[in-house]
Amino acid sequence: MRVPIEWLKEFVEFSLSPEELALKLTMIGLEVESLEKAYDDTVLEVNVTPNRPDCLSILGIAREVSAMINSPLRFPECGIQAESGPSSVAVVIADEDLCLRYAGRDIEDVAIGPSPEWMKRRLEQCGMRPINNIVDITNYVLMEMGHPLHAFDKEKLKGGRIRVARAIPGSRVTTLDGSVRDIPDGSLLIWDAERPVAVAGVMGGAESEVEEHTKQIFLESAYFLPASVRRTSKALGLKTESAYRFERGTDIEFLEKALDRAAFLMATLAGGRVSKKVDVYPKPFEPPKITVRFERVNKILGTSIIPDDMLDIMKRLGIEVLQADTKAFTITPPSYRRDMEREIDVVEEVARFHGYEKIPVTVPKIHTSGGGTDRRHEHTSTVKTALVVEGFTEAVNYSFMNYQALDMLSLGSDDPRRRTLTLRNPLNEDESCLRTTLVPSLVKNLVVNVSTGSRDVRLFEISRVYIDQGESLPKEEHHLGVLYFKEKGPSLWKDETPDFFLVKGVVESLMRGLRIQGYTFEPSTEPFLHPGKSCDIKVSGVRIGFLGLLHPQIVEKLGLKVSRKDIVLLEIDLDLLFNFVPKTATYTPIPKYPGIERDVALIVDESLPAFTIIAEIRAYPSELMEDVVLFDFYKGKNIPEGKKSLAFTVRYRAKDRTLTDSEIEELHAGLVTYVTTRTGGVVRGA
Amino acid sequence: MADITEIKKAFLDELSAAGTVSDLQLLRVKYFGKKGVLTAQLKLLPTISSEERPAFGKLINEFKTFIEEKTDFKESELKHAELDKKLVSEAIDITLPGNYVPPGSMHPINQVLKEILGIFVGMGFDIKVGPEVELDYYNFEALNMPKDHPARDMQDTFYITDEVLLRTHTSPVQVRIMEKTKPPLKFVAPGKVYRCDADVSHTPMFHQVEGLMVDSDISFSDLKGVLELFIRRMFNKDIPVRFRPSFFPFTEPSAEVDIGCILCAGSGCRVCKGSGWLEVLGAGMVNPRVFEMVGYDPDIYTGFAFGMGVERITMLRYSIDDIRMFYENDIRFLRQF
Repeated sequence: MRVPIEWLKEFVEFSLSPEELALKLTMIGLEVESLEKAYDDTVLEVNVTPNRPDCLSILGIAREVSAMINSPLRFPECGIQAESGPSSVAVVIADEDLCLRYAGRDIEDVAIGPSPEWMKRRLEQCGMRPINNIVDITNYVLMEMGHPLHAFDKEKLKGGRIRVARAIPGSRVTTLDGSVRDIPDGSLLIWDAERPVAVAGVMGGAESEVEEHTKQIFLESAYFLPASVRRTSKALGLKTESAYRFERGTDIEFLEKALDRAAFLMATLAGGRVSKKVDVYPKPFEPPKITVRFERVNKILGTSIIPDDMLDIMKRLGIEVLQADTKAFTITPPSYRRDMEREIDVVEEVARFHGYEKIPVTVPKIHTSGGGTDRRHEHTSTVKTALVVEGFTEAVNYSFMNYQALDMLSLGSDDPRRRTLTLRNPLNEDESCLRTTLVPSLVKNLVVNVSTGSRDVRLFEISRVYIDQGESLPKEEHHLGVLYFKEKGPSLWKDETPDFFLVKGVVESLMRGLRIQGYTFEPSTEPFLHPGKSCDIKVSGVRIGFLGLLHPQIVEKLGLKVSRKDIVLLEIDLDLLFNFVPKTATYTPIPKYPGIERDVALIVDESLPAFTIIAEIRAYPSELMEDVVLFDFYKGKNIPEGKKSLAFTVRYRAKDRTLTDSEIEELHAGLVTYVTTRTGGVVRGA
Repeated sequence: MADITEIKKAFLDELSAAGTVSDLQLLRVKYFGKKGVLTAQLKLLPTISSEERPAFGKLINEFKTFIEEKTDFKESELKHAELDKKLVSEAIDITLPGNYVPPGSMHPINQVLKEILGIFVGMGFDIKVGPEVELDYYNFEALNMPKDHPARDMQDTFYITDEVLLRTHTSPVQVRIMEKTKPPLKFVAPGKVYRCDADVSHTPMFHQVEGLMVDSDISFSDLKGVLELFIRRMFNKDIPVRFRPSFFPFTEPSAEVDIGCILCAGSGCRVCKGSGWLEVLGAGMVNPRVFEMVGYDPDIYTGFAFGMGVERITMLRYSIDDIRMFYENDIRFLRQF
């Protein structure tokens, strides 16, 4: 809302500088966003919140200033000297639910011409374009008093009649901007005897427009239901100053003053003769009575404002106090304050004019159990810390996804990740679904980072994915997604660990951090991973995620300009995983007696998984075996084709004594026989 | 009997000529061995007269001790020298780079979020979360924004169906909690929110933290107190704070909370648009209508609510001027935090 200061001063006197005025207005809730110079004057840009439509006018702002500095408010000149006969236009409101009042006057024998300079200047200061005196006057009164008016060329109104009624199927209006518009059913229109002549409250029709040779005017001042104007304006995509005010609620009582003001200006500036008013007002507005308890005001604000001060604020705002006693007072809010409906709305007025800065600062007493996070929050923290410690950087991606990403991942048609939710109004087609997996986002992050030259991209993300489950709201699962890409160029200190196992190590430390046991790795079923270098991760038999290299076919399609294209992906459903976090940890006593270690190296078939051998070793029936660690893996010279060598260290320990070498020799020999028998392996070097 | 002085001199010459520990060993053998010099002298003892024997014996012993001490000392010297030489030969080039692996880090938004939540948990607030895909009822209607209300324009919404949308703020969480819990309540609700907006200071998805406190005697002064405490812990303890009236459909009275511009300290700059103040929080007393819709009696209970945008605070904290950087996830940006 643009407010030229000179114009404002017509209605309230003040000696504040523009900057002081701006600050004071901001501090009562009318935030001044900027001050601009226009035509030797300063124009304030005021941000008026949706609950204060009464401030969408110079008079409205003046009213606030008047209350703020306690300076009297002046009204614009509205007196009509002489009325010629009654209006020649018959007005009927057919839909009283959408139009609650319709008033108008004839302005006869006007001379259309340019507006005087002072009016043009003020219109331009407010960002409006001057057209001719009649149209300009309606815009001027709109800015000045906040009520939208509309001027018809009376001679173009067929049958000299106005009917306010809903559109019928097939209704069409050519609006003032020249567009022919199909009017949606249920929208309110202004009709003459034959056809619609205006979209009520939004825009007038071209066929009844005031033009250079117009001589007879019919001036409309009406009240239309805010929700109706809003719906129509939205449906037509027509945002006008008029619609903007009507949809926020105008002053149904005051509209007759706006009508008179405009008529007065038209008589004065365009030489017209003003008829009597026609006014259809089926149900006059009855303002609510609001009772306000003094004590309650202070209780809500935490202040000790005395009753007299509260009553004074009402007076300054021009709000009539019907009655007051020691405990409470009753007011009836003015018709322009439709935002005041209950006691709490009056509390806000008291607070505003008392001054928010005068409200004390206290710390509340509260009686809750307070202060805490829940277990999922804590486990998520543990996961994040583990990943950060392992050198991964957290990414946060939008929750949107392109559905085609799921095709790129070759997901089957009944894969639950295909049950996506789609936005009706996405910002762009690339982001029209909600994510069901974090993989596409992370791969996209990789592509972007590689294209800007990064060759070490180790990212993780913890976010929700959204799976449609046929109910009104989707299932929101918390997922961890990890992407590992590190080009192995020449470097000073070499780490030969294959990428897959580096990330597998991260999974293992994650499990350790959460104290989860009983997790296993099995060949993966995911179609977008390298079939030989991928696995599903299970805890106690429940599949919680996958880990593996992105399938080379998909990697090719990414067109990355790098030499080595191993990209490791990991995704885990954290909600599932956290179910397996034990409630408590128990302490295990540390051993009192030393252990003895013995190694065994076995040559086995290449296809035999290491896990199987370890399982066999562990299955050896001896309580004295404490731990097994695989420490060497070898294929090549000295190992037959189709075979591999795995070496293990086995640690033996007794809880109650130191073991002797001879005990161990026997035990270990027994173990070796046991394992070689069950795995078909052979001791290396035998 | 040979002249002790001569033997001593010969010994010392040989001692200084000894270059290694094994040389010393040979020297020891030469004097103390079966055919050693000193051994030979000892053998002479019986040939000496009994009056001269004690003196002679003493002389031999003294000489023996002398040789032992000198040899041992030299041995330890030689050993030190050998060790020193060995250590020098093992030296590494300390100016070579270390095995540096760029460390990981949390996303700056989540770092700031963690800090914000930490301050409120420290004040006794719980943390509550809720769905991001929400019903129109919880996102708007229960917050005093009926359908066709212009206040809905303040937030451009992503819709999935007529009744299902992406939440535009985390306030729906507050409604859900109030529906199933009786006061007193004190919690913060962090989370992702969505609005159709994209430019240098808006992204279609961003993070908010909203808070709620409800009891039988909560007032606006308490709101000021809690928020000032938060601001002083989050920014700095002397920062100017001001509360000014504003409008939210779900609070009445409503306020915007500004802090003194941290870049220009209030003198006016591009970031604060010359005003000297930065808006960081919206807040207000919960509108009684909202309480009525969740079944609380507004005459018994009062409460305040507040909300802040995490991106905005993060941008102020680190002087980041383009919000879109948070979502590009360029690792060169992320690793700076």
